[in-house]
Amino acid sequence: MENRQTLTERLCGMDKSLKKEDILLPIGFDLTPTASRKKTDGIAALLKDRIAVYENGEKTSDIPTESIAEIVFRKGIGCVFVEYRDKCDKWHILCRSDMEYLDLYAAAAREMNRYVEGKEISYTYEKEIDRRCPKCNRQYKPGSTICEHCVDKKSYLARLWKIAKPYHKLIYLSVGFYFIIAAANLVPPYINRILVDDYIKAETLPKVLSYLSVILSMLGVYIVTQLLSMIRSVFLIKASNGIVVTLREMVFDKIQKLSIARISKRTSGELMNRVSNDTANLSRFISQDFGNMVEQILILLAVGIYLFSYDWRLALMIILPTPIVMYSYRLFHRFMRQIFHRQWQMESRANTILHDTFSGIRVVKAFGMEKREIKRYDEITQVERDTNIRANVFFAKIQPFLDFFMGIGEYFLLYYVGNKIIGGQMTIGEMSQFSAYVSIIYGPLRWISWLPRRLTWVMTSIVKIFDVIDENTDVADKENAIDHDIDGYISFENVSFGYDKTSYVLKNISLDIKPGEMIGIVGKSGVGKSTLINLVMRMYDVSEGTIKIDGIDIRDISQQSLRSQIGVVLQETFLFSGTIYDNICYAKPSATRDEVITAAKAAGAHSFIMKLPNAYNTKVGERGHTLSGGERQRIAIARALLHNPKILILDEATASLDTETEKQIQDALQKLIADRTTLAIAHRLSTLRNATRLIVLDKGELAEVGTHDELIKKQGIYYGLVMAQRQMSKMSPKNQAKQEATA
Amino acid sequence: MPDTNKSTNALKEVVAIKYITKDNAKFKVVNDFVSMTVTLPDDDGNMTEKTYDRIFLHRAFPFDFPYAYISVLDSDSAEIGLIEDIDAMGEENAKLLRAELDRKYYTPIIKQIISTKDKFGYSYWKILTDEGEMEITLHDTFQSLLKVGGTRIFVNDIDGNRFEIPDIEKLDRQSYRRIELFL
Repeated sequence: MENRQTLTERLCGMDKSLKKEDILLPIGFDLTPTASRKKTDGIAALLKDRIAVYENGEKTSDIPTESIAEIVFRKGIGCVFVEYRDKCDKWHILCRSDMEYLDLYAAAAREMNRYVEGKEISYTYEKEIDRRCPKCNRQYKPGSTICEHCVDKKSYLARLWKIAKPYHKLIYLSVGFYFIIAAANLVPPYINRILVDDYIKAETLPKVLSYLSVILSMLGVYIVTQLLSMIRSVFLIKASNGIVVTLREMVFDKIQKLSIARISKRTSGELMNRVSNDTANLSRFISQDFGNMVEQILILLAVGIYLFSYDWRLALMIILPTPIVMYSYRLFHRFMRQIFHRQWQMESRANTILHDTFSGIRVVKAFGMEKREIKRYDEITQVERDTNIRANVFFAKIQPFLDFFMGIGEYFLLYYVGNKIIGGQMTIGEMSQFSAYVSIIYGPLRWISWLPRRLTWVMTSIVKIFDVIDENTDVADKENAIDHDIDGYISFENVSFGYDKTSYVLKNISLDIKPGEMIGIVGKSGVGKSTLINLVMRMYDVSEGTIKIDGIDIRDISQQSLRSQIGVVLQETFLFSGTIYDNICYAKPSATRDEVITAAKAAGAHSFIMKLPNAYNTKVGERGHTLSGGERQRIAIARALLHNPKILILDEATASLDTETEKQIQDALQKLIADRTTLAIAHRLSTLRNATRLIVLDKGELAEVGTHDELIKKQGIYYGLVMAQRQMSKMSPKNQAKQEATA
Repeated sequence: MPDTNKSTNALKEVVAIKYITKDNAKFKVVNDFVSMTVTLPDDDGNMTEKTYDRIFLHRAFPFDFPYAYISVLDSDSAEIGLIEDIDAMGEENAKLLRAELDRKYYTPIIKQIISTKDKFGYSYWKILTDEGEMEITLHDTFQSLLKVGGTRIFVNDIDGNRFEIPDIEKLDRQSYRRIELFL
């Protein structure tokens, strides 16, 4: 979609009756609103008193704004709609477009709706959404600030060079060594010539001493080159590892700082790949390929210059086939890359299946599906095998031909040199020197034909690494963010929020919470309860409105200070691999043993921990799978309590516990939460019986607020929920009494 | 072997699917949308007739059955019922429902792949579709192609647009070669 200015100009050209200042908000669209398929070129423009729609230069409709009740954005599949509802409650389509400018449509529709509601239009969204590459005008990938189209390889290498600064000296030194080694490589064939001409083919008997000195100098050259390459390797390995550690730290640091929204866009596997594999690729490149590259190029140059200066016709004969071979490599390059990529994909697919079956082994066994899983794995490994065979057969087919072409110059050389020797223009020693150089020069020539592949490979890794490093931290601390000691006032002021900009999960929430209050958050699944508490923790930033703690916008408080005073127990408890003790004091490593035990007792965890043979020193397995769901939850509660937070957030914290244990913990919590603000989400309403107030969310809006009694009297949504749960517990008479007692 | 059919039947008695057929429903286009009058059992099991000014259609199996197993939703996204097969709804209805589905699921058909270019994990394609020539960008080509059945391919670009290749074997040789290795 073009920007507002060009759209406005285009509109004015199309419809002469329009003036620039009349057009408040134009939307360009490219699909006919009514027909199922068909591209079009349309503009829907909000004017002062109406919305005018044009298609292919013709006006198709004119809707007075006073007849419009509401304008909404709706997502189709592969397309988006902007629709409006008229005052007679009938829906109409305003325009339809493909998904390219999804965010822009959502925002434009929202602003149009604000105008219809009599509010001012704000154009701030345009800047926020319209992030494009200034060069090619393509929209950046979400979250990225680089354009893959125009990515400048040089700038990445320059940045890499900057990061490598502490190691520049090492790198310069090793490059210096390469020069010496390349030069030294020229010496042995030369000595060889002397050996052949002056000693082996000599007519007079050679002197033993000078013969020995020739052999010794050969040995000397050999020792020097080996020694130098050893030192050089050490230097390069030091440099490459240093650089990689720096990069890894940068990537890990960045990932830690990214908001949940950004992190959850990528799988943890992908992130791990970037931290470890991509940096390892780079390390391998610097320590091995970079070294080889310098070495081979230097050898190529040194030997090449020597050969050309010796006899340019000879040199030409040797080098002639190279361009042909290079070109054929280029021809196959694309195919090779694809087949390598496919190989990699198949491997990764097989690994995914492995990972899946192993982590889901209980399910596999429970349903008796072992045979099917074996078959599935067999199939994928067979495909993997076929791909491997295909790749290798391909290489086996073309490599000999390419090698033959590459070496074809040698035959010409033999003929040419042989003639010269017979003619007496060349000695045998000279020939042996020359052919030694020739065999040396083929090494780099063959190697260089592989260079593009290696470079593409490492560049991909470099770009991926910097892609993470460059990512915008969307939930960032302000420069003047303050550290604040929380008292516990939380206020929501017209808060709206959506995970993507296209639809709001929470709409216009306003609420004041006083210190020490326990607020129970109730509502159907997926209504935005967890989202609400995520906003308080500032895992995401609100889309509209503000959340204040003690009257301060949470965006002005440093995240470190904010989160260190909030304790959370989440629906899905995560335990780190380590001991139970490590897990409880995760957020407060300085806690004494007494404190840890007290917290565990309050959380009802102490008794079951003491039943374990190693008690607090028990190692919990991966994700804590050796413990039951309820046990893990209690450890998580202990962790939050030890943290001694000013604000406590419980998101279905006791859902995996039986009602008996839950009650015990609730009572313990009750004492603990006396002076702190608590936000608790629970489906089991009895969990919230201690709540001072309850809030009911419905369709993302705050539907009801009040105490249990008030809400029951109101006979609204909450009443319905309570009744439904009573109905449920009637099925099991045992629970009835309990439920009755709580209600 | 346990009798799975029997258990499925038992399940059906507890959770009944409300089928919308050409006998219990009438459709017409009001403004730009489809409206429906349908007679279905309400919560207490009594047959009641109800008119919805606007219905929403959603494919249950968008790749396997684009015109069968269509969920009919009201404006609050609550399911009114299920259409088992659009073509069994009568010619007029089928035409109207198909049009509504095609509008919501915008999926141009790829006729030719003019060129593909890979760069840093992204793939830039120039394609010819029944909607004209387009340029699309894919992130991770392998993940962006979805193979359905033996020969049908769905292509998802980075913006979320969707394209279909109904039969890869019917593509011209060059187009096929360009994507062959990603399959």
